[in-house]
Amino acid sequence: MNQRPFLRSLVSPAALCAVSFAAALAAVMQYSLRAYVPGSLEAGGFTLANFVALVKPLYAWVFLETVWICWLTAFFTLIVGYPLAYALVHVRHAALKAAILVITVTPLFLGEVVRTYSWIVVLGNNGFVNTMLLKAGLIDAPVQLMFTRLGVVIALVHVTLPIMVIMLAAALSHIDRDFERAAASLGAGPIRAFLTVTLPLSAPGIIAGVTTAFAWTFSAFATPQLIGGGRVNMIANLVYQLGFASFNFPFAASLSIAGLVLTFAILALMRVAARPLERLGPH
Amino acid sequence: MKRLGLALGAFALGTMAFCLVPAVAVAQDKLVVSVWGGSWRDMVAEIIGSKFTAATGVPVEYVTGGTIDRLNKEKLAKGNPESDITFTTSHVGWLYANDGLYEPLDLGKVPNAKNLVEQAKISPYHVGTWAYVYTIGYRSDLVKGVPFASWEELWGPAVKGKLAAPDFDPSHLITVAAILSGGDAASWEKGQAKLKALKPSFKAFYTNDANSQQLIASGETPVQVILSMNAHFMVSEGVPVTLAVPKEGAVLGIDTIAIMKGSKKADLAYKFINLTLDPQVQAEVAKFKKGSPVVLNAKVDAAVANLPGVFTTAEQWNKQAIIIDHKLRAEKTAEWRKWFTENIMN
Repeated sequence: MNQRPFLRSLVSPAALCAVSFAAALAAVMQYSLRAYVPGSLEAGGFTLANFVALVKPLYAWVFLETVWICWLTAFFTLIVGYPLAYALVHVRHAALKAAILVITVTPLFLGEVVRTYSWIVVLGNNGFVNTMLLKAGLIDAPVQLMFTRLGVVIALVHVTLPIMVIMLAAALSHIDRDFERAAASLGAGPIRAFLTVTLPLSAPGIIAGVTTAFAWTFSAFATPQLIGGGRVNMIANLVYQLGFASFNFPFAASLSIAGLVLTFAILALMRVAARPLERLGPH
Repeated sequence: MKRLGLALGAFALGTMAFCLVPAVAVAQDKLVVSVWGGSWRDMVAEIIGSKFTAATGVPVEYVTGGTIDRLNKEKLAKGNPESDITFTTSHVGWLYANDGLYEPLDLGKVPNAKNLVEQAKISPYHVGTWAYVYTIGYRSDLVKGVPFASWEELWGPAVKGKLAAPDFDPSHLITVAAILSGGDAASWEKGQAKLKALKPSFKAFYTNDANSQQLIASGETPVQVILSMNAHFMVSEGVPVTLAVPKEGAVLGIDTIAIMKGSKKADLAYKFINLTLDPQVQAEVAKFKKGSPVVLNAKVDAAVANLPGVFTTAEQWNKQAIIIDHKLRAEKTAEWRKWFTENIMN
């Protein structure tokens, strides 16, 4: 007897979605192999020139920059998100738990553009951060945060935080607290118990969170576009700049395909690298 | 269970079909106008659409979207257009025309077209509706002692690390650099070295009008290659922006109007275009957006007519506007964009 009979009823819509996505991807693929005709919306004949044109230091640099920004974002989101997730799971006071949840998840309910414009106000030379630092006497002149990699990463961490916290909280909530109590009964202090018991057992959540944050950030557009101001570019910005803003859809398609391949390659590498850590999780 | 699955699939297909069909259905009893959203749509609706409906009894429906979104949608709907009339920028209009999306215009059916300035007669398919310039706008409280009487001053030390320009269209600076180097838009390569020398002046590149306004209002980029209408808007908001028209001229932009090929409302569309070029309507548009009318008999409010970058006489059009050939611009945009991204932005 089928244990999940409802699954069968979802096959048709799922297949329809899969076919639609595959068709869209095939369309992008075929565009990437067609020639750009200046002044026309129609693409020309078959060519590999779009991919050949990608072999330039500039594009390699933007691809590397994208990977680096994704890593930084995933790392700092983990650093900020772990304490929040831990508190979310272990705080007993219902109101406090709700407050943490609301503060954490609220960014998901704001549009990316709204969030990003808010960060422009915060990070600008006359923004909140610089004003506070100047008033506190910690700096003599505004620190340049806008149009820098640091500014882009700060805003991306904010965008990615809810996903990380939700994934970490799910992992932490599955850890039996008796393990920590056992460690304590054997003489381990709270920090040692956390580092030797809770942290290793939450490894699967950390891996899932970091992987998702990485992939989530890879397609970032509005944040690097507005905070980066054309000085910090990720792949999606390059696709926009070279493809859509100039109607060169074939070249934009080839950039998109290259970005997609790079994403898959890095996620595969991450999966291989994370295997030893996964073994630390609960069995 | 299988039936439920099929029903869900059919529902999904039906929903998709429903999303694709309504534009065709509503086109029967209205004039459908494709235009940008926001204040552009409001302006067309309030100043032109309402008068058109009052005169003809035919309601106007607006299809709004970005320049490229609307272009793509019309390309997909070729032969059975989503709209009867399209507003778009002059060089993008050439992309529509080159792909056979526009109906040739018979200006004999547009009496008000006899007053069109020559520069607004873009092609046999589309004509100008209002104009603006991209020129130097700066915060006079933050950048002192530089009058920007010439584009050359952008290269000066006072602008180092202060300049922003649009990231979506480098044609203004590419053409200006070519002119300063003894060339023009067609021989733009002459200005490449000059433009590379401008790199130290750039602080950022803005991505849309709102971004431009925010960056100049906050003083983050106190000098911009800016849309004149944006600069005038910021002044009205109390931001001390000064707009300069350098001696070489300001780079002209014209938004245009055309009838879509396959429209079944061509007669009404001609009436709409004629109304758009009506001198009274043109004066109202100029006042609303602080741009230039494209007919010479518009009685523009003196306060608007005196603004820099607003042209109301043939002499101003001839002497103050740098005009990039619209067809050339349509053909060169991708090449210029790629070069600018590779050599200036990165």
